[in-house]
Amino acid sequence: MRARFGDQTSTALMLAIPALLGLTLFILLPFLTALALSFTNLRLGSPLPVEWVGLEQFRRIFSDADFLRALANNLLFAAVVVPLQTALALALALLLNQGLRGATAFRTLFFMPVVFPMSLVAVIWTLVYAPGPNGMMNALLEQVSFGYWEARDFLRDPVLALPAIMLLSIWQGSGYQMVILLAGLQNIPQELYEGAALDGAGHRQQLLHVTLPQLRNPLIFVMLVTTILAFRLFDQVQIMTRGGPDNATTTVMYETVQAIFTRRQVGRACAMAVVFFLLVLTITWLQRRLVRQEREVA
Amino acid sequence: MASIVFDHVSKTYSDGADVIRQLHLAVENGELLVLVGPSGCGKSTALRMVAGLEEISAGEIRIDGRVVNDIPPQRRNLAMVFQNYALYPHMTVRRNLEFPLRMRKLAGAEITRRAEKIAEMLDLTALLERKPKALSGGQRQRVAMGRAIVRDADAFLMDEPLSNLDAKLRVQIRTEIASLQARLDVTTLYVTHDQVEAMTLGQRVAVIREGRLQQVAPPWEIYRQPANIFVAGFIGSPGMNVLRGTLEAVDGNPVIDLGPTRLSLPKQTLVDHPGLQADLGQALLIGIRPEAIHLADNLTKDVLPAQAHAVESLGHETILHVTTGLTTIPCDTINPAASATPAPPLIAVLPGRHTFRPGDSLRLDIDGNGLCFFDMSGNAVR
Amino acid sequence: MKPTAHFLTQLLRYSVLTTLALLFLAPLIIMLVGSLKADARVLVEAGTLAAFLPDEASLDNYADVFRRSDFLRFFFNSVLITSAIVISGLLVNSLAGYAFARLQWRGRDLLFNLVLALMILPFEAIAVPLFYGVSMLGLRDTYFAQIAPFIANAFSIYLFYSFFIGLPKEFEEAARLDGADTLRIFFTIIVPNSKPVFASVAILSFLTWWGSYLWPLMVTIGPSVRPLPVAITGFFTLPPLLWGDILAFGVMMVAPVLVVFIIFQRWFVRGVTASAIKG
Repeated sequence: MRARFGDQTSTALMLAIPALLGLTLFILLPFLTALALSFTNLRLGSPLPVEWVGLEQFRRIFSDADFLRALANNLLFAAVVVPLQTALALALALLLNQGLRGATAFRTLFFMPVVFPMSLVAVIWTLVYAPGPNGMMNALLEQVSFGYWEARDFLRDPVLALPAIMLLSIWQGSGYQMVILLAGLQNIPQELYEGAALDGAGHRQQLLHVTLPQLRNPLIFVMLVTTILAFRLFDQVQIMTRGGPDNATTTVMYETVQAIFTRRQVGRACAMAVVFFLLVLTITWLQRRLVRQEREVA
Repeated sequence: MASIVFDHVSKTYSDGADVIRQLHLAVENGELLVLVGPSGCGKSTALRMVAGLEEISAGEIRIDGRVVNDIPPQRRNLAMVFQNYALYPHMTVRRNLEFPLRMRKLAGAEITRRAEKIAEMLDLTALLERKPKALSGGQRQRVAMGRAIVRDADAFLMDEPLSNLDAKLRVQIRTEIASLQARLDVTTLYVTHDQVEAMTLGQRVAVIREGRLQQVAPPWEIYRQPANIFVAGFIGSPGMNVLRGTLEAVDGNPVIDLGPTRLSLPKQTLVDHPGLQADLGQALLIGIRPEAIHLADNLTKDVLPAQAHAVESLGHETILHVTTGLTTIPCDTINPAASATPAPPLIAVLPGRHTFRPGDSLRLDIDGNGLCFFDMSGNAVR
Repeated sequence: MKPTAHFLTQLLRYSVLTTLALLFLAPLIIMLVGSLKADARVLVEAGTLAAFLPDEASLDNYADVFRRSDFLRFFFNSVLITSAIVISGLLVNSLAGYAFARLQWRGRDLLFNLVLALMILPFEAIAVPLFYGVSMLGLRDTYFAQIAPFIANAFSIYLFYSFFIGLPKEFEEAARLDGADTLRIFFTIIVPNSKPVFASVAILSFLTWWGSYLWPLMVTIGPSVRPLPVAITGFFTLPPLLWGDILAFGVMMVAPVLVVFIIFQRWFVRGVTASAIKG
């Protein structure tokens, strides 16, 4: 029987099925599995029978001090890194948008860390944070504090370990934000500035009343991505501190991997993954709302 | 070569909008038929249904007697020239010309031979290795034509092929298309919104309005005997004036009472339009071409006093918008008897040697020969 | 603005940019310079200006990397895994993007919304069940486990979709009338006119998978199919701790990315910004 004219279902399925199959098999199915397993006590290689435990896993992880610490660390990380990194990236983008000669070269330099694999970045920064007065960061801080800084072992210091990881994350990520904000800046119609100038707005007023409002959506976007990244934090922690010292740098993902990897607790790890997903969902939902609000106003 | 038949074809979009309603029309073998109408009237949709790019909601389209409703475009053997030419940007002119032949899996040497022959015919030989980006508008247009010609399609479909060209080039390519079509003797369905293009190119012209066919006829007939006031107003630049009046017989001679003035018609009028007999003493609509309005002289029997309102001087002629006491009817209204839109000015086209200024008082003379008559619903009275 | 004032502002801007650029570059220079130094000096000189000066440069550390680790194998693994994901991903996702953007089919809108929904699901959320599945099937420590899950990608489909939907339809219509079928149109008309999106998707996924760490850390057991990001941390923890060797390893690991980045910089930036222009 001939297909109805204009209906290309068979061709379309032929084209889309490899991708749809992949997404179903490797994303949708695992995700649904995670949801299901988070209600069980499944363990890898355990001889005990699998039981349906309801919300028990969730109750357990939320009364687990390590996991709560991990959540707090992620939140703290996001609270510090997102504003700092965004501010730095915005400053860089504004500087590079002044039509300076050589701006492209600077853009390349600031973007360079973004292409570095995180595991390599973590290794290099371990050297940067080397303990003792010869360590690069220690030496630098000693220089700028005129000798008042006393050498610390950043990655083994319960107070400094998380900030140390925050710093390298900002270093690695701000180039990404900068490039997006720069593209956003270049999308702002020149007429808006000309109009504002004719209305008597100075540089600062133009920044406040033209640039920032026009940059709202790119800003929301980069902040969303960075927030989600903050909750995905794993590589740096795994390589540099293993969550220590005293859980000072543990994260939700680190705890999740620990649960399945060292303790083989599939059910528990899945519950953590579900919590992680709900966090990401909330953040995304917030961003969508923020963007929509702006559209309604406009 | 093939004929194209629209057999009561309709097109309704999923949102319920009717774009084409009961289109019934045949393009004869070897004929160039122009579909013309204002933008959004559905003429392009009609063309795209022939091409197979739009689904047919009801009715049948037959190409050479074969129903094509369910046949995909690649199997209809039609060639189409698009408004923006749709030349493949990444291919040279040569590859563009060869593409339809490659799709037909012709032998390599044959492909080259035919592409080069077409290139020569269209004076494109020097441009064969260029990409479309490096061509002028006129050259691109010729490549698009070449791609249509190269493969002996059963019919050509042209969707506003001249609208992206500037005015001068448009006239030149228009004549090229006409002579090419005549030489190749290929059935051609040509869509345009430009009535000048329609009149100059079409062996027959089909006027479409809001998805409905208004009239199909050779250009002269469309011009002289428009089927209704819409066609009357759409064809011709400027279009026909339509006035409201009453037909009377005075001493056996037909006279139209236009209100402020009377217009005596030649006796022959009632013979040429037998339908008018029934309208004696009735209100009806009278169509007057702007060219049929002259300046009155001493011999003028029924002088129409008027006042110039706007003057457009084109050099060889002057277009006058005048205010008179006449009841003019806008041609694009659905119900001319009770139109809400304000009455348009009367328009006259006078030889360019006359100069006027807005506000001038004029004495006009309406030529009673070659008038058109419509009933109060706007349809021609023959 | 007065000329002198203008000059001073410019000077200020350049100084700020240069200072920041130096801070950004410092870790990278240290890596490159350190990789050319004797191991013992790397750590000792890290806090001094000598860290930036490659005196007595030698390639001994590089030779050491090959001697002390199976670098070529890791490199080969990374190249194989990344290129397999990128190349098959380009094909699979562009075809799907095209089907969603241009073809008329039942269930299209529903499925496309599902694809959009999957976009917000980060890999981390499914790493655990995926790991469980891979372990159950005995597929740990295989190339397959590191390639297959990442070929189909919702975000790539979305990028292709939004590019294709912006292409003028006339090319495809002309090609259909010229006698080409859908696949033919895709490969002869669409692909050659969509280089920007193919470049963006290729670069984005190359970057992602060349640096991917969590998944290979979970699924690889021995060195046989281990890619560079996991290998470097293994080398990092391999006693004795020789910083010169580690940095040389790092230089060789990042070199391909940098080469690609410098050649295709425009596309990198476009790819990254393309990902932001949505919603």
